[in-house]
Amino acid sequence: MAKTTTAPLLTVTDLTLRFGGLVAVDHINLTAEKGEITAVIGPNGAGKTTLFNCLTGFYKPTSGESRIHRDGRDFILESLPPTRLISDAGICRTFQNIRLFQKMTVLENLIIAQHPGLMRASVWSIAGLLGTKKFRAAEAAAVAQARQWMERFDLLAYADLAAGNLPYGVQRRVEIARALCTHPVLLCLDEPAAGLNATESARLNELLLQIRRELGIGILLIEHDMSVVMQISDRIFVLDHGKVIASGTPAEIRKNPAVIAAYLGVEEEEEPAVLKQLSKKSPTQKATTPKTPTKNPSTKKVKKDGKK
Amino acid sequence: MKNSTQTAAKKLSLPHSLRLAVLATLVAVVLGIPMVALGTTDQNGSLILVQRWPWLLWLAIVIFVGRLFTAELAAHGVVDSLKTWLSSRHPNRPKFRDRNPAILWLRGKLPEPTVTLLLLAFLLPMMPFTDRYSIDLATTVLIYVMLGWGLNIVVGLAGLLDLGYVAFYAVGAYSYAIISQTLGLGFWETLPIAGLLAALFGILLGFPVLRLRGDYLAIVTLGFGEIIRIILLNWQSLTNGSRGIGGIARPEFFGLSMSQTAGGDSSTFVDWVNGNLTMIGQWFGGSEAGLEAYRLSYAPVHRITFLYFVILGLLFFTDFLVRRLRNLPIGRAWEALREDEIACRALGINPTMVKLSAFALGAGLGGLAGCFFAARQGFISPESFTFMESATVLAIVVLGGMGSQIGVVVAALFLVLVPELGRAFADYRMVGFGAAMVLIMVFRPEGFVGERKPSLILGLVGKAKSKAKTKGVQ
Repeated sequence: MAKTTTAPLLTVTDLTLRFGGLVAVDHINLTAEKGEITAVIGPNGAGKTTLFNCLTGFYKPTSGESRIHRDGRDFILESLPPTRLISDAGICRTFQNIRLFQKMTVLENLIIAQHPGLMRASVWSIAGLLGTKKFRAAEAAAVAQARQWMERFDLLAYADLAAGNLPYGVQRRVEIARALCTHPVLLCLDEPAAGLNATESARLNELLLQIRRELGIGILLIEHDMSVVMQISDRIFVLDHGKVIASGTPAEIRKNPAVIAAYLGVEEEEEPAVLKQLSKKSPTQKATTPKTPTKNPSTKKVKKDGKK
Repeated sequence: MKNSTQTAAKKLSLPHSLRLAVLATLVAVVLGIPMVALGTTDQNGSLILVQRWPWLLWLAIVIFVGRLFTAELAAHGVVDSLKTWLSSRHPNRPKFRDRNPAILWLRGKLPEPTVTLLLLAFLLPMMPFTDRYSIDLATTVLIYVMLGWGLNIVVGLAGLLDLGYVAFYAVGAYSYAIISQTLGLGFWETLPIAGLLAALFGILLGFPVLRLRGDYLAIVTLGFGEIIRIILLNWQSLTNGSRGIGGIARPEFFGLSMSQTAGGDSSTFVDWVNGNLTMIGQWFGGSEAGLEAYRLSYAPVHRITFLYFVILGLLFFTDFLVRRLRNLPIGRAWEALREDEIACRALGINPTMVKLSAFALGAGLGGLAGCFFAARQGFISPESFTFMESATVLAIVVLGGMGSQIGVVVAALFLVLVPELGRAFADYRMVGFGAAMVLIMVFRPEGFVGERKPSLILGLVGKAKSKAKTKGVQ
């Protein structure tokens, strides 16, 4: 990927979010590039979705900042009102549990994603009520755009059906198409492969690669399904207990002992020992291993479930 | 497999049904002791207690047999099949009316269903069987349709449960009463003012409840409705308290009074018609005596018919406005808000503006209805704006099918006409009314008109079907 700008698309600096005594996101630093798929992985409760909620304006972080570099301008996400996050900074997300407007049709879902622009065109609904030429043109353009996405995502057949009645895999595609209708520069997908079968998941991989190839936008991805993450990600950040414990290409991450430790679940006391052992075995690691494993003891005690 | 479970169900159903029947009978007896078995009657000026134990026995028998019967029906799948037959829970299944060529043809020729109904309503006063009573009743129905359409924006489209809608109705009514009496403005000048004032109150209520949803919102709106009523009761100097405001000016017909005598320098409608009749007659060279047969003489039914046409005109306007708005970005945003507020925020929609616009518009329409109500009654007092009114309007919206324009019309007809027609049955009409409501909610939980019409159609339905089919195969 030839990059035109030197600054990364998304830069997260020292982002922290506390809920009372719990540090859900702990001084996270990460970057995402234009035209790349950046994955965020980690065990359950690692703070991945919380990080997303901070980026997309649902939570206000306690400290730190994240900025989007778009067309030579910087947007600090924390200082933007939620509506401008989408229109100006160009960051749009999907949800872990699909959040479509269920009773509305697929077409309507995609049109609502273009609401702010259409609302401006309808001039407080007055131009809309009068049905002015300008408004009708704007509406036709919105439909054309929705149609284009439906064609790309193979959704035309479902255009006029209620979104809530569609198969799960189709609903996922609708949600991604809906997010793309807002013209994002950074698309944040929260576990897009959750609940999909192997075929659907393979199809999603293809789709994400296609988006990256054709639109050249950045994709930030939270995912548990390693078959998705390892195949399509350009860069992976591993989160555990709200901290980035490793980052690198899929090949690097696969070998990283800290990641293995986090996923297999090791008791706090044993962790340094295991790490030492592991690092002896694989000297190629370039991980940013945790400096001190002294974390919030209340969340650390329980042995985590082994993950694939 | 299916057969065996069904026969098993049949074998096992009787004891279960008996249990249900006994339970129902027990409840009926407990309730029946104070309500049926014991009663009071007036004898020589003093109340005496009468005991009607045989009645209770009959009630118990009827309940027992009835519950046993329905339980058995349910156990044998009759109720379920009836429910699937009646309900429209499968939105993608083609309906009878979507398949029947005659209905399809007719639908192509007719305007929107609501417009068709309103046009039919236009003919009502000209029917031979209509009298003063039926026009008056129809006016009441139309007021409720107007309120229903207003509340439908808030509850049906935007999904904000509002239990205090009557407050806006009251604001509209009192606006007209007070403005017409203090400033001397007429009905038509005050109508938009009343609407705007009510919309302002809608926004006033909207601000504090922006963060609330569901039950919490319902409670606050309920409180708001009561606050307005209590203010109306206690602000003696402005509202005249519980004595209400009387002698409210009637609407005029382009400056012509619809009453028997006109005040000031304006003339009455009847005089105007007769004057013109004389003029036209003279043009055509008719004699005074020949024209005498066509002369109008004053009758109260004129005014009632005129009021009927006024509310009908308001309804044409409201229907056009709401249907149009629903297909605009703002209408889609209301519905999106109802479906998922978080997704709305994630797409850059400002929920504050969407909610406030729904509240303001719904309240404004309520205000217009209130203004008309005051003009029609000529007298208003806080009595007319109790919680019961809010509940009735909400029932109309829910019963009609959330978000459906035509559903509101059907439900308003039902909710106003059924108790009215049941007057002959005196005390039992509310029981029958309650039973009818329960039955409707059991068999049609999504209301009379359950399905939703998309605001935009890509027009690919034909192609889509075949494509979907090939998708299914692969």
